[in-house]
Amino acid sequence: VSEKRSSPTRRRRITPYALLGPGLLWLLVFFAIPMYFMGELALRSGTLETGFTFSWDFANFSDALSRYDANFVRSFLYASAATFLALLIAYPLAYMIAFRAGRWKNVLLFAVVAPFFTTYLIRTIAWTTILSDDSFVVELASSLGVLNLFETAGFSDTSDRLLATPVAVVAGITYNFLPFMVLPIYASLERMDTRLIEAAKDLYSSASQAFFRVTLPLSAPGVVAGTLLTFIPAAGDYVNVLFLGSSNQSMVGNAIQSLYLQLRDYPTAAALSFMLMFVILVLVVIYIRFAGSEALMGDEEEAR
Amino acid sequence: VNQDPNNEDPGAPRRGRTALAVLAAFALATALLLAACGGDDVGGADEEEVTVAEAEGEASGNLNISNWPFYIDNKTVPEFQNNTDISVRYNEDVNDNSEFFGKVQPLLQNGESGGRDIMVVTDWMAKKMYDLGYLQNLDQEAVAPAKENLREDLASPAIDPERDYTLPWQTGMTGLVVNTAEASDVTSINDLFDPKYEGQVVMLTEMRDTVPLVMKADGIDPADATKEDWIAAIDKIRENVESGQIRRITGNDYTKDLANGDAVAVIGWSGDAVQLQEDDPNIEFVMPDEGCILWSDNMVIPVGATNPTAAYEWMNYVYEPENQAQIADYNYYLTPVTGVQEVLEQQGSEAAESELVFPDEEYTANCSTQTDPPGSAEDVAEVEQEFQSVITG
Repeated sequence: VSEKRSSPTRRRRITPYALLGPGLLWLLVFFAIPMYFMGELALRSGTLETGFTFSWDFANFSDALSRYDANFVRSFLYASAATFLALLIAYPLAYMIAFRAGRWKNVLLFAVVAPFFTTYLIRTIAWTTILSDDSFVVELASSLGVLNLFETAGFSDTSDRLLATPVAVVAGITYNFLPFMVLPIYASLERMDTRLIEAAKDLYSSASQAFFRVTLPLSAPGVVAGTLLTFIPAAGDYVNVLFLGSSNQSMVGNAIQSLYLQLRDYPTAAALSFMLMFVILVLVVIYIRFAGSEALMGDEEEAR
Repeated sequence: VNQDPNNEDPGAPRRGRTALAVLAAFALATALLLAACGGDDVGGADEEEVTVAEAEGEASGNLNISNWPFYIDNKTVPEFQNNTDISVRYNEDVNDNSEFFGKVQPLLQNGESGGRDIMVVTDWMAKKMYDLGYLQNLDQEAVAPAKENLREDLASPAIDPERDYTLPWQTGMTGLVVNTAEASDVTSINDLFDPKYEGQVVMLTEMRDTVPLVMKADGIDPADATKEDWIAAIDKIRENVESGQIRRITGNDYTKDLANGDAVAVIGWSGDAVQLQEDDPNIEFVMPDEGCILWSDNMVIPVGATNPTAAYEWMNYVYEPENQAQIADYNYYLTPVTGVQEVLEQQGSEAAESELVFPDEEYTANCSTQTDPPGSAEDVAEVEQEFQSVITG
C-alpha cells in the first residue's frame, strides 16, 4: 500500500527536474562548456604563431584591466546613461499603452516591437544616415542650441556634429534596447488591479500619491526586469560605437573585438570578457539586493 | 514567500538531497564532455610540409570564392558558369584582412576552409597565412595559362618570389579620396592635419595603408623605416584622434562617411573613388604629393579546399584579357593581366584612359610597396598593438 502511494509522490518530485532538463542541457552546452573553454583560454600564454599554452597566466587579467580601464569606465557610463534614458522614455509609454490606449493598445504594442523586424545592424547603420552632419536632425539640434548644450554639459567634445560623439552612442544604445524596457514594464502594469488605484483615491490620496505609493511599487518587478534586460546587453555592446562612435567612445566590447579579431590575443580577450561578465554580475547583485529580489520575482505583496 | 502547499517540512531535506544529486550529475556530465573534447591546441604553426593543391581531371562541381565587396561586375560569374560545368558560390565576406583572418583561423588551424576553394587576401596576409601552414601551393601546371598573362612587374613579389601560392586578383593604390567641392586644396597627407578640416578626416583601420602614408608625409620612406618610425607615426595619429582632428578610423565604411558628407578628405582606395563618383561627381582619388601605397590582393587556395581543379579553371578564366577587361571596367583597380588596356580601348571604355587603372610610371613615381613593420614577429605584434590601442581609445 505504501509503495502505491510513494510512486506518484516520487514522480511529482522528479517532474520539476524533468521540466528543468532541456533548460539545463541548454545551459550546459551553450553556457557552461563555453565558459570552461574561455576560462581555460584566459589562463594561457603565447602568441598565435607559437601557439597558446596553458600556464595559469593570471597576469592576463591584470594586463587586460590596465590596458582597457578607460573602456570599462565608458561601458558602464554609457550603459547606465542609456538604461536611465530608456526608463524615462519607457515608463510613460508603457503606462499609456496599459491604461490609456483603449483600442489602440495592440497597435501601439506592435509599434514598440516593429523595429525588431529589421536586424539590429541595419537599424544602427540607418542611424548613421539619420544623424549625419548634413541631416535635418543635426541642423535642427544645432539651431536650437542643443548641440552647444551637449558640449557645455560635457556630453560631447564638439558642437559640430552628433555622430562620433558619446551622445550618438548613448542614443543608439537607448534606441536599440528600448523595447526590452517597455515590454516588462507594460506586462507588470497590465496585470495590475486598477481598483487598487481607486481604493487609494477613496482613501484620500492625490493622483501623484496614488502613483508613487500604489502604481510604482506594483510595477517594480517590470522596472527591475527592464533595467536588467537593458543594462546587461548595453554594457557589452560594441555595434553602436562601431557605427555611431569613434575611438574616443570605444567600449569594452570593442576592445574584446580588437583583441580577438585584430590582435588575435585570445587569452587577453578571454580574460577581458570574463572581467566584463564579473563586473556586470557584481553590479547586478548589488542592484537586486538594493531593489529587492522579490520585486524581480514578481511577488507583489513583498514588493510593497 | 513560497506558498507551495506540498512543501511540508519533513520533505525539505530530501528535496535538497535530490537537488544536490542533480547538480552533481550535471557537473559530472560537464566534466565528461569537457574531457571528450578538451585539450585542443590553440594556435601554433603547422610543422607539416606545404602541400600542392593538385588539379585532377575535368573541372566541375561547386566552387566557393571569398572575395571583397565591390570587386567584380555582375556578369563575369554567370558567364563563367555558362562556359563551364562549375557552379560558383561567390561570397563577399572579406571586409578587412585581420577580421577575415580572425574568422577563418580556427577553421584553417584544423585543416578546414569552411568550404572555401579560393580566398582573396592582401600580400602581407597571404604571407602570414602561408607561414602558419594555412595555404597550399598552386599546381603550377594547372595555373600556367593564367601566369602567362600576368603583368611582368608582378611576377616576383617579395612575399612570394616564384608566385608559388599566390595569384593577384587586383592591385591598387591607397591615397587620398577627397570631396573636391569641400576640400579642393587637399593634395598632401599633411593637409589631413589642417585644423580647418577638424572632424572631417577619416583614416583606414588597415594599418599597413594608414601608418606608412603618415610616415611618408613626414619624409620617411616606409621601405627602410624602423620600428620607432612606425610608433612615431602611430603616436601622431593617436594625438589627432584624441584632439578630434580625425573623426574616426574605420574600414571600407569610410565610403559612407564621404557619401553622407560627414568626411571631406580621407585615406582610401583608388577604385572606391570611382564608384563613389557615380553618386557624387565631386569625389575624386587624389595622388598624394608624397606618393601612394601600392598593394596587391591575391587569390590563394586554403588548406581543406575541396575543389582546386575548379579553382584553377576560374583563375585561368579571369586571366583571359577579354574576361579581365570586364572586371577592370567595373572595379577600376589596377589589373594584373596584360593586354587588358587594348581590349578596353577596342570597346571604347573610359577605363582604358584612366590613370587609376593604367597608371604610367610618372604617376606612381613616389609610391611605396606595402610592407610589414620591420623586425621579428614580436616587433610586428607590438606595432600592431600600438595601432589597435589608437582604435580602441
